[in-house]
Amino acid sequence: MTNSHSVQDRRLGRRRFLAALGSTIVAGAFGINAGPVAGNMDPAQLRRSMRDQYGASGVEVIDEWLSLLDRLADRNLDTQLREVNDFFNRRIEWVDDIDVWGQKDYWATPLEALGKGRGDCEDYSIAKYITLTQLGVPVATLRMIYVKARLGRSDTTIAHMVLGYYETPSAEPRILDNLQPSIVPARQRTDLEPVFSFNSEGLWTGSSTSSKADPVARLSRWRRVLARMTEQGFL
Amino acid sequence: MSLIKQLWLTILAILLIAFGGSLFIGITTTKQALEQEVRIKNADNANALALSMSQLSKDPTEMELLIAAQFDTGHYRRIELRDPEGNIMESREAEESIEGVPGWFVDLTRFSIPAGEAVIQDGWQQYATIEIETQHSYAYRSLWRSTLQLIGWFGIAAIISALLAWWIVHTIRRPLQAVIDQAREIGRRRFTTSKAPATRELRDVVMAMNQLSSSVSGMLSQESEKLDQLRRRLQHDSTTGATNREHFMRLLETALKREDDQTAGIIAMVRVSRLNELNEQLGRPATDQLLAQIAAALRSVAQNGHVGRLNGSDFAVLIPEEEDLEAVSQRLTERLHPLLDDQSVRVALPMALRRYRHHETRATVLSSLDGELARAETQGDRAVILASDDRENVLFHTHEAWRDALVHAIHEGISLAHYPVLDDQGHLLHFEAPSRLRLRDSWQPAGVFMPWVSRLGLNSEMDLAVVDAALHTIAKDNTPIALNVSPRAANDATFIAALKARLQAAPEAATQLWFEVPEIMAVNHMENFRTLCRELQRFGCRMGLEHVGPEFSKIAQLHDIGLIYLKIDASLVNGADTSADQQSILRGMATLCHSIGIKAIAEGVATEAEHTCLLDIGFDGVTGPAIRLAGDT
Repeated sequence: MTNSHSVQDRRLGRRRFLAALGSTIVAGAFGINAGPVAGNMDPAQLRRSMRDQYGASGVEVIDEWLSLLDRLADRNLDTQLREVNDFFNRRIEWVDDIDVWGQKDYWATPLEALGKGRGDCEDYSIAKYITLTQLGVPVATLRMIYVKARLGRSDTTIAHMVLGYYETPSAEPRILDNLQPSIVPARQRTDLEPVFSFNSEGLWTGSSTSSKADPVARLSRWRRVLARMTEQGFL
Repeated sequence: MSLIKQLWLTILAILLIAFGGSLFIGITTTKQALEQEVRIKNADNANALALSMSQLSKDPTEMELLIAAQFDTGHYRRIELRDPEGNIMESREAEESIEGVPGWFVDLTRFSIPAGEAVIQDGWQQYATIEIETQHSYAYRSLWRSTLQLIGWFGIAAIISALLAWWIVHTIRRPLQAVIDQAREIGRRRFTTSKAPATRELRDVVMAMNQLSSSVSGMLSQESEKLDQLRRRLQHDSTTGATNREHFMRLLETALKREDDQTAGIIAMVRVSRLNELNEQLGRPATDQLLAQIAAALRSVAQNGHVGRLNGSDFAVLIPEEEDLEAVSQRLTERLHPLLDDQSVRVALPMALRRYRHHETRATVLSSLDGELARAETQGDRAVILASDDRENVLFHTHEAWRDALVHAIHEGISLAHYPVLDDQGHLLHFEAPSRLRLRDSWQPAGVFMPWVSRLGLNSEMDLAVVDAALHTIAKDNTPIALNVSPRAANDATFIAALKARLQAAPEAATQLWFEVPEIMAVNHMENFRTLCRELQRFGCRMGLEHVGPEFSKIAQLHDIGLIYLKIDASLVNGADTSADQQSILRGMATLCHSIGIKAIAEGVATEAEHTCLLDIGFDGVTGPAIRLAGDT
């Protein structure tokens, strides 16, 4: 994952901010592109954000998540996929955004989803996506997929989102979903019909990579949630 | 480096940094905004295209058509379709045409914009990746245009700032130059004062220098006052304030030898007869008072002339430039006789008057006058005898004849005599050059015609002709020449203008010209003299005073106009070798002159002994009958 130095600086007081501003100007001036920087998670910052927003119970959950990361760090991919999928499916209750956030289609960060203990389909997908990338699963193999989901045996369909794992670009993906807790190859999910997919690849290329400072970031929902994650200490 | 230059450099540096920096930031920001815009467009278009292609059947023709349609109708540089392994399936590319923007500018600002990328789904599988690059030549064009605009605006702002800076520097430069000039003047021992400028630092400096100048001029006044008192004691009769016999004799001698317009005039002698009886009758104090009153009355008649007490009872009055015996005798009786009427006893006061002319000897003048006075004494107590002028040997008899002859002679050309003025090493300082005019077929000395030049108001013409002759001589011999400026010419604006024009025409020779005016003129017309000095010094002419003596104490007021030399009057100089008092006065004058950077030159040095004595005293130059240029006979 990526991060930018100006994001870190924002946490570090005014002097550092000015220094960063100076270096940004200089870097900009000399045409140096502040390219994608490997993401580094900050557990302390995560706990702080959690405590500020959701209190002690939130911190408990985030600690669990952090210990999950520790536990899975050296495990094989299948275990990682399964454990992560299960962790979020268990921790987060599936509801509509409008009930949780007071707005339709609010994209929550894993911290927000865990803090509330509730979330909607894309909140699961985002949380799983971020957790897996933290565990070192290549970004290119993970794609968030918009699907049309048929509920039960009825003809009711809903707009839904799942996380797909592509072993190779042309391979058939495995689906991490909250409707069906086990991970299965896509072909077996006859209840789902894929529409479009994306991931965060290619997002942070180019010269302007800062989250909040970049006006473009606020225009896209996907970018916005990434920016918030950076703020909270995920990236 | 000069302060002004430093100021300019600083201002230029600040302008460059400010405008260069603003330009740089302006361009950079614009560039970033443009890049961002193009980047968003790339990403969004790629996503939109991928989204719609994901919904279609993956027929290659259909795919190709869709890409072609997008490419042909939109503004794209490249649209590329790759399979998941990265092989190109379809590619459209257009030339990058950047027109109207110089190549170096494109190289300098080269955009780095990533292509927009999105994945096309085929069911669950990734079908292909689409990559889109938008045409961004328009971005270079708008960046170039905005750069030009910025440069234009900054150029205008720079010009305005430079004008403002020029104005500020200008307001500093003038007072600064004035301060520097004053400091230089003080360095040359010209203690000028100048107006305090508005700039505070400069004002402090100017005020300090003004203070220095005024304390110096105060000191000068005091010193010269002391010298003047000493001189008075030496040269004046303590009872009456008239000059004593010795000094009067020298004054008369000098008057008879002068080479200017004061060579002719009237001399009168007044005798208080039977002074001893008067002393007994009135008592000493009353007699002395009467004598003082008589002397004062004589002074009021003499004006710029001299009153001398030749012995206890005899007074003499020397009135240069005066011709009318009747008028003078009238004035004398009008002033003197009322004094006599006021006395309780009868006082006899006979008098005799005569004219004197250039090159008469002192003995002749005095002995004949003495005879006339004796004759008057026999004729009555208040007898006045006007000595007849039967021996008058004049060149022309009427004003018209004089005028014609003088105008003609001036036109014909002036000859200049050469009397050397030597410095203390015996080197030539300059030549004094009294003029000679050819009248009645012979060269006549100035003493003969100068009174007539003055009387007929031809001073300016005469002086200009003299300047012409002097410039001509300098051009020929390259020796410095000193010229007299007559008081009338010095006060004449048209003369000064004409003089300036001549000096301007001969700038080289002008630096070899020394101008001198009589002390009495400088003191009486101080402002005119200052103006004259200012005007002539600009051409490198040296200014000095001649016949300095009686008004020496007032010369302190002239210390700041840049006089180069003073010529001390012969009446002070003659006999200096034998009189210790005279020596101390002369030494004081020389010292004072040196302290304000002025050369002291002695006039009318008559003997070798005087010459040696004067150089010992510290004089810088000498001139007179005893002074000859080495090698001259």
